[in-house]
Amino acid sequence: MRDVYLDYAAATPVDPEVTAAMLAYLTERFWNPSAPYAHAREVRDDVERARGTVARLIGARPDCLVFTAGATEANNLAFAAVEGHVVVDAIEHESVLACAATHARRTVRVGPDGLVDPAAVARAIRPDTELVSVELANGEIGCVQPVRELSRVVAAERARRLEAGETTPIYLHTDASQAAGVLSVNVATLGVDLLTLSAAKIYGPKQVGVLWASEEVRLRPLVYGGGQEGGVRSGTENVAGIVGFARALELACERRAEESRRLAGLRERLREALLARVPDMVVSGPKNPKRRLPGLLHVAFPGVEARRLVIALERRGVSVGTGSACAASRMRVSHVLEAIGMPRALAEGSLRLTMGRGTTEEDVDYAANAIAEAVCAEVSRRTVHASSIVAPDRKN
Amino acid sequence: MVAKVYCGLSGGVDSALAAALLVEQGYDVTAVYMRNWSRDLPGFRCPWAQELADAERVAVTLGIDLEVWDCEAEYKATVVDYLVDAYAHGYTPNPDVMCNQTVKFGTFLERALDAGADFVATGHYGRVERSADGRVRLLRALDEHKDQTYFLWRVGEEALARTLLPVGEIRDKAEVRRMCAERGLGVENKPDSDGICFVGPVGIRTFLLDSLERRSGDVVEWETGRVLGRHDGAFLFTVGQRRGLDLGGGPARYVVNTDVEKNVVYVTADHDSPALFCREVTLEDVRWISGEAPVGGRYLVRTRHTGELREAELDGAVLRFEEPVRRVAPGQSAVVYDGVRCLGGGIVTK
Repeated sequence: MRDVYLDYAAATPVDPEVTAAMLAYLTERFWNPSAPYAHAREVRDDVERARGTVARLIGARPDCLVFTAGATEANNLAFAAVEGHVVVDAIEHESVLACAATHARRTVRVGPDGLVDPAAVARAIRPDTELVSVELANGEIGCVQPVRELSRVVAAERARRLEAGETTPIYLHTDASQAAGVLSVNVATLGVDLLTLSAAKIYGPKQVGVLWASEEVRLRPLVYGGGQEGGVRSGTENVAGIVGFARALELACERRAEESRRLAGLRERLREALLARVPDMVVSGPKNPKRRLPGLLHVAFPGVEARRLVIALERRGVSVGTGSACAASRMRVSHVLEAIGMPRALAEGSLRLTMGRGTTEEDVDYAANAIAEAVCAEVSRRTVHASSIVAPDRKN
Repeated sequence: MVAKVYCGLSGGVDSALAAALLVEQGYDVTAVYMRNWSRDLPGFRCPWAQELADAERVAVTLGIDLEVWDCEAEYKATVVDYLVDAYAHGYTPNPDVMCNQTVKFGTFLERALDAGADFVATGHYGRVERSADGRVRLLRALDEHKDQTYFLWRVGEEALARTLLPVGEIRDKAEVRRMCAERGLGVENKPDSDGICFVGPVGIRTFLLDSLERRSGDVVEWETGRVLGRHDGAFLFTVGQRRGLDLGGGPARYVVNTDVEKNVVYVTADHDSPALFCREVTLEDVRWISGEAPVGGRYLVRTRHTGELREAELDGAVLRFEEPVRRVAPGQSAVVYDGVRCLGGGIVTK
């Protein structure tokens, strides 16, 4: 049986080149970067070189980067930098929504395609708003937010405050974890003040992330200790992880253009194959290819329970997601699908199919066939079942 | 027309096989996951999401529907609150007995019948015998080591008439696991679940201390009346208990009695103290499956799940044992058998 993995938005395998780059730091180059002898200085230099690489690839200064244990921590760090009012949208990742919940906040609604309207963000900003946080690309329905336009909104507010003699700062944060493999994450082009990245979504190791913050932003530590990472994130550096992250980001940037095109092709192939077999399938996310992640296809099958499909597909060797992993384990409809106004019944029949570097056309064809078969089997089972139920006599 | 069965599916091994056997026997099976009450505090979380996922896997493999029924309110009221209240009054209850009576063969059965079911089924180890005269009897499972009739004595004949217990017909648990594995149900390696499900890994003591007021009192030596130490509440202790007595060393001591009103726990260092034994127990809240009390006489009695079956004389609401037996904690069930047939039983009084 073929084994087809279609959940790259949940986890990516570590690229062999990344593993190769990391290996030395798990074995012979194990030294603590803070130690005083020559070997330790070597790995300190390697960490700084990796920091320089990441900085260069996102168009930033190396001393503005803080390595963290993943994107969730980076998002937490971004929110800890402000105390006042924040503005987020309704389909942010749980880590952003949870952080926002600790602040006075305004949650902006999104359209049916998941896109944030910059005008709505402009209306949500108050004189005491200190942070706006909008994910660059959503990992569940794949919409790519107009972050550049949002940066203009924030810049306009900043100009207004300057004019009015108000001193409250306002920053724009974007979590670019899901986007980095396929979209440019240059901080200057995006016009953001804070940016989160994760190695785990770009064929690097898990539990490694970075927060970039412009010089204007004063970060406040969440983890206290030996004062590593400029005092913002204490704890001995995850040297292998940081080196792996830098290599992973390099590879992502090198392959980005070609891989995006290839993934977009695979996505269309999958969408067409499924639609041909299951005509009432509903495709979510923006229609405009520029506004969606190329390797993500979010589909819903009316009258079918996605949780059952996942099991039926796993028996055919196909691994798919039903939404963000956290939501799946809690047995409730994902907040993203709720926010885009998808009816509950349809949301419960939703699959998130994400392709990546390892996905081939043969994989897509096999998966399309398996999904269509599983959906049809479920639909016919339900139809047979429904017709065998005799309507009860109504006595009154 | 094919008989319609609603089968409770818990995510465990036994109910998975029950559902599979019913499908193979040609019933029209709908699986139901009963969502019961679980405490939403750290350490108290029942892993029900995982259990539901396992149940779902079984249902999909068998190609049957799985419905999730919310039984939280009934469960909370008739099992959890009952348990806490009984402990508060110095009893040691069997929550599974109440769960079977009020939830599984109560609410679940009623809702299934309303939905058009002919039968309900569960993964319990017990057998339902339907005789030619139309009477329905509850028999111990073929696997005596797993027999669960101790928890089923409050289920009446009317409910049993609508009940299928396919797993009770299987020789032993290893066979059950093997049959699950053969069918690819994916649950065959799950451990047996024991204990009170909603209490979870924290244990009954932590659970009770979260529900009832901690009340410091004396631990008193039964024979001498001497105060040996302090405890956190007499309701935390049960007759025969050895663990959880913090008396700062010394010999092992056993709880002889608790007085929740005076908040005193009586203990003895004598494992063979007459106070730890009894010759008879008096029952309250007596129920007979057939609805009629059996004639007085000698029967087999069990006072603990899978505990020894002892001969006893039934005389009204009193059970007299042949020879002294270890004291049974008030609140526990005493279940009466005639051979392999479970007749019913009662709750042991103080």
